[in-house]
Amino acid sequence: MHIHAYEKIWLATSVLLILFLLGSVTYGAVGPGVAMVSDTEPTIDAGALDEDERFSEPRVEQVGENEYAAYVVARQFGFQPDPIVLPANSTVTFYITSADVIHGFEVAGTNANTMVVPGEVSEITVRVEEPQEYGLICNEYCGAGHHVMEGKVNVVSQAAFEERTSGGDGE
Amino acid sequence: MAQNETAHAPADDVGGDTEEFDPIGTLTLIGIYFVILVLSWVYIYYIEFLGRDLVVVG
Ligand SMILES: [Cu+2]
Repeated sequence: MHIHAYEKIWLATSVLLILFLLGSVTYGAVGPGVAMVSDTEPTIDAGALDEDERFSEPRVEQVGENEYAAYVVARQFGFQPDPIVLPANSTVTFYITSADVIHGFEVAGTNANTMVVPGEVSEITVRVEEPQEYGLICNEYCGAGHHVMEGKVNVVSQAAFEERTSGGDGE
Repeated sequence: MAQNETAHAPADDVGGDTEEFDPIGTLTLIGIYFVILVLSWVYIYYIEFLGRDLVVVG
Protein backbone atom coordinates (compact mmCIF):
# COMPACT_ATOMS: atom_id res chain seq x y z
CA MET A 1 0.00 0.00 0.00
CA HIS A 2 1.32 3.38 -0.89
CA ILE A 3 0.95 6.18 1.62
CA HIS A 4 2.01 9.64 0.54
CA ALA A 5 4.97 11.02 2.47
CA TYR A 6 2.95 14.04 3.63
CA GLU A 7 0.22 11.80 4.89
CA LYS A 8 2.74 9.88 6.95
CA ILE A 9 3.87 13.15 8.48
CA TRP A 10 0.29 14.04 9.29
CA LEU A 11 -0.48 10.64 10.82
CA ALA A 12 2.60 10.84 13.02
CA THR A 13 1.92 14.40 14.21
CA SER A 14 -1.74 13.52 14.92
CA VAL A 15 -0.66 10.67 17.16
CA LEU A 16 1.85 12.98 18.88
CA LEU A 17 -0.89 15.57 19.42
CA ILE A 18 -3.17 13.01 21.07
CA LEU A 19 -0.32 11.84 23.30
CA PHE A 20 0.43 15.46 24.20
CA LEU A 21 -3.21 16.13 25.17
CA LEU A 22 -3.45 12.95 27.25
CA GLY A 23 -0.03 13.68 28.75
CA SER A 24 -1.15 17.19 29.76
CA VAL A 25 -4.17 15.88 31.63
CA THR A 26 -2.06 13.19 33.27
CA TYR A 27 0.50 15.79 34.27
CA GLY A 28 -2.29 17.95 35.74
CA ALA A 29 -3.53 15.04 37.85
CA VAL A 30 -0.08 13.90 39.02
CA GLY A 31 1.76 17.24 39.31
CA PRO A 32 -0.58 19.98 40.60
CA GLY A 33 -3.04 17.26 41.72
CA VAL A 34 -6.07 18.46 39.77
CA ALA A 35 -9.14 16.45 40.80
CA MET A 36 -12.83 16.23 39.99
CA VAL A 37 -15.80 17.21 42.13
CA SER A 38 -16.23 14.31 44.53
CA ASP A 39 -19.46 12.30 44.47
CA THR A 40 -18.68 10.28 47.58
CA GLU A 41 -20.90 12.30 49.91
CA PRO A 42 -24.14 10.52 50.88
CA THR A 43 -27.43 12.15 49.94
CA ILE A 44 -29.30 14.32 52.43
CA ASP A 45 -32.87 15.58 52.86
CA ALA A 46 -32.96 18.96 51.13
CA GLY A 47 -36.23 19.80 52.90
CA ALA A 48 -34.72 19.35 56.36
CA LEU A 49 -31.45 21.26 56.15
CA ASP A 50 -32.33 23.12 59.35
CA GLU A 51 -32.04 19.80 61.18
CA ASP A 52 -28.79 18.84 59.51
CA GLU A 53 -25.74 18.97 61.70
CA ARG A 54 -23.56 20.54 59.01
CA PHE A 55 -26.00 22.73 57.14
CA SER A 56 -28.35 24.04 59.82
CA GLU A 57 -25.56 26.51 60.57
CA PRO A 58 -23.63 27.20 57.36
CA ARG A 59 -20.10 28.05 58.49
CA VAL A 60 -16.36 27.66 58.10
CA GLU A 61 -14.61 25.54 60.70
CA GLN A 62 -11.13 24.24 61.30
CA VAL A 63 -10.82 20.49 60.85
CA GLY A 64 -7.06 20.01 61.00
CA GLU A 65 -3.67 21.63 60.82
CA ASN A 66 -4.29 24.37 58.27
CA GLU A 67 -7.33 22.50 56.98
CA TYR A 68 -10.77 23.99 57.00
CA ALA A 69 -14.26 22.87 56.06
CA ALA A 70 -16.79 25.31 54.63
CA TYR A 71 -20.44 24.24 54.84
CA VAL A 72 -22.37 26.28 52.32
CA VAL A 73 -26.08 26.37 51.55
CA ALA A 74 -27.30 27.77 48.23
CA ARG A 75 -30.93 28.80 48.02
CA GLN A 76 -33.11 31.12 45.97
CA PHE A 77 -31.40 33.61 45.75
CA GLY A 78 -28.19 33.68 47.71
CA PHE A 79 -25.46 31.76 49.49
CA GLN A 80 -24.92 31.18 53.20
CA PRO A 81 -22.67 32.11 54.86
CA ASP A 82 -22.19 35.44 53.11
CA PRO A 83 -19.39 36.33 52.97
CA ILE A 84 -17.56 33.03 53.23
CA VAL A 85 -14.42 34.01 55.16
CA LEU A 86 -11.37 31.77 54.70
CA PRO A 87 -7.85 31.99 56.13
CA ALA A 88 -4.97 32.50 53.70
CA ASN A 89 -2.46 29.74 52.90
CA SER A 90 -4.73 26.87 53.85
CA THR A 91 -6.57 23.94 52.34
CA VAL A 92 -10.33 24.34 52.29
CA THR A 93 -12.97 21.74 51.52
CA PHE A 94 -16.31 23.15 50.48
CA TYR A 95 -19.43 21.09 51.21
CA ILE A 96 -22.21 22.74 49.27
CA THR A 97 -25.84 21.80 49.09
CA SER A 98 -29.07 23.38 47.94
CA ALA A 99 -32.22 24.00 49.94
CA ASP A 100 -34.47 24.20 46.89
CA VAL A 101 -33.53 23.92 43.20
CA ILE A 102 -30.31 23.29 41.27
CA HIS A 103 -27.81 26.11 41.65
CA GLY A 104 -24.24 26.71 40.63
CA PHE A 105 -21.30 27.58 42.86
CA GLU A 106 -18.61 29.44 40.97
CA VAL A 107 -15.89 31.46 42.62
CA ALA A 108 -15.46 33.94 39.80
CA GLY A 109 -12.21 33.76 37.88
CA THR A 110 -11.02 30.61 39.64
CA ASN A 111 -11.26 26.86 39.15
CA ALA A 112 -13.63 26.40 42.10
CA ASN A 113 -16.83 25.66 40.24
CA THR A 114 -19.50 23.03 40.79
CA MET A 115 -23.18 22.35 40.40
CA VAL A 116 -25.24 22.40 43.58
CA VAL A 117 -28.02 19.83 43.52
CA PRO A 118 -30.76 19.56 46.19
CA GLY A 119 -30.30 16.33 48.14
CA GLU A 120 -26.66 16.05 47.13
CA VAL A 121 -23.54 17.48 48.72
CA SER A 122 -20.93 18.79 46.30
CA GLU A 123 -17.47 18.43 47.76
CA ILE A 124 -14.48 20.31 46.38
CA THR A 125 -11.13 20.85 48.04
CA VAL A 126 -9.03 23.85 47.02
CA ARG A 127 -5.76 25.42 48.03
CA VAL A 128 -6.17 28.99 49.21
CA GLU A 129 -3.20 31.31 48.82
CA GLU A 130 -2.97 35.07 49.43
CA PRO A 131 -5.63 37.25 51.10
CA GLN A 132 -8.04 38.34 48.40
CA GLU A 133 -11.72 39.02 47.79
CA TYR A 134 -13.47 36.79 45.28
CA GLY A 135 -16.93 37.09 43.88
CA LEU A 136 -19.23 34.09 44.12
CA ILE A 137 -21.96 33.51 41.55
CA CYS A 138 -24.68 31.03 40.73
CA ASN A 139 -24.15 29.77 37.18
CA GLU A 140 -27.24 27.55 36.83
CA TYR A 141 -30.52 29.27 36.03
CA CYS A 142 -32.51 28.87 39.25
CA GLY A 143 -35.49 31.21 38.96
CA ALA A 144 -36.58 34.81 38.65
CA GLY A 145 -33.79 36.13 40.87
CA HIS A 146 -30.98 34.09 39.34
CA HIS A 147 -29.19 37.13 38.00
CA VAL A 148 -28.89 38.66 41.46
CA MET A 149 -27.75 35.44 43.15
CA GLU A 150 -24.24 36.18 44.30
CA GLY A 151 -22.01 36.07 47.32
CA LYS A 152 -18.47 36.74 48.43
CA VAL A 153 -15.49 34.60 49.31
CA ASN A 154 -13.07 36.65 51.40
CA VAL A 155 -9.64 35.22 51.97
CA VAL A 156 -8.13 37.03 54.97
CA SER A 157 -4.83 36.66 56.79
CA GLN A 158 -4.53 33.90 59.42
CA ALA A 159 -4.45 36.53 62.17
CA ALA A 160 -7.58 38.27 60.93
CA PHE A 161 -9.33 34.93 60.59
CA GLU A 162 -8.54 33.90 64.15
CA GLU A 163 -9.59 37.27 65.47
CA ARG A 164 -12.87 36.92 63.65
CA THR A 165 -13.63 33.39 64.92
CA SER A 166 -12.64 34.10 68.52
CA GLY A 167 -14.57 37.36 68.43
CA GLY A 168 -17.82 35.44 68.80
CA ASP A 169 -19.01 35.86 65.25
CA GLY A 170 -22.71 35.14 64.90
CA GLU A 171 -22.35 32.69 62.06
CA MET B 1 -10.25 -0.20 5.30
CA ALA B 2 -6.57 -0.80 5.04
CA GLN B 3 -7.19 -4.24 3.56
CA ASN B 4 -9.46 -2.85 0.87
CA GLU B 5 -6.87 -0.35 -0.11
CA THR B 6 -4.26 -3.05 -0.22
CA ALA B 7 -6.44 -5.09 -2.54
CA HIS B 8 -6.83 -2.22 -5.02
CA ALA B 9 -3.41 -0.79 -4.58
CA PRO B 10 -1.72 -2.00 -7.76
CA ALA B 11 -4.39 -0.38 -9.98
CA ASP B 12 -4.73 2.85 -8.00
CA ASP B 13 -1.12 3.40 -7.27
CA VAL B 14 -0.25 5.68 -10.13
CA GLY B 15 2.34 7.72 -8.28
CA GLY B 16 4.60 4.89 -7.34
CA ASP B 17 7.42 5.86 -5.04
CA THR B 18 8.17 9.04 -6.89
CA GLU B 19 5.94 11.75 -5.36
CA GLU B 20 4.45 13.50 -8.37
CA PHE B 21 1.55 14.81 -6.32
CA ASP B 22 3.21 17.38 -4.11
CA PRO B 23 0.66 19.62 -2.29
CA ILE B 24 3.22 21.69 -0.41
CA GLY B 25 0.73 24.56 0.08
CA THR B 26 -1.76 22.28 1.82
CA LEU B 27 1.00 20.80 3.94
CA THR B 28 2.12 24.29 4.99
CA LEU B 29 -1.44 25.34 5.81
CA ILE B 30 -2.06 22.21 7.89
CA GLY B 31 1.26 22.79 9.60
CA ILE B 32 0.17 26.32 10.56
CA TYR B 33 -3.17 25.02 11.87
CA PHE B 34 -1.28 22.42 13.86
CA VAL B 35 0.98 24.99 15.47
CA ILE B 36 -2.05 27.16 16.36
CA LEU B 37 -3.73 24.12 17.92
CA VAL B 38 -0.71 23.23 20.05
CA LEU B 39 -0.11 26.81 21.19
CA SER B 40 -3.82 27.23 22.04
CA TRP B 41 -3.77 24.07 24.11
CA VAL B 42 -0.63 25.13 25.97
CA TYR B 43 -2.24 28.48 26.72
CA ILE B 44 -5.65 27.09 27.72
CA TYR B 45 -4.39 24.24 29.89
CA TYR B 46 -1.06 25.28 31.35
CA ILE B 47 -1.50 29.03 31.64
CA GLU B 48 -5.23 29.71 31.94
CA PHE B 49 -6.42 26.57 33.72
CA LEU B 50 -3.49 25.61 35.95
CA GLY B 51 -2.54 29.26 36.51
CA ARG B 52 -5.85 30.23 38.10
CA ASP B 53 -6.44 30.41 41.83
CA LEU B 54 -8.27 27.74 43.84
CA VAL B 55 -7.20 24.72 41.82
CA VAL B 56 -9.48 21.84 42.79
CA VAL B 57 -7.32 19.15 44.37
CA GLY B 58 -9.87 16.82 45.92
CU1 LIG C 1 -29.10 29.98 41.98
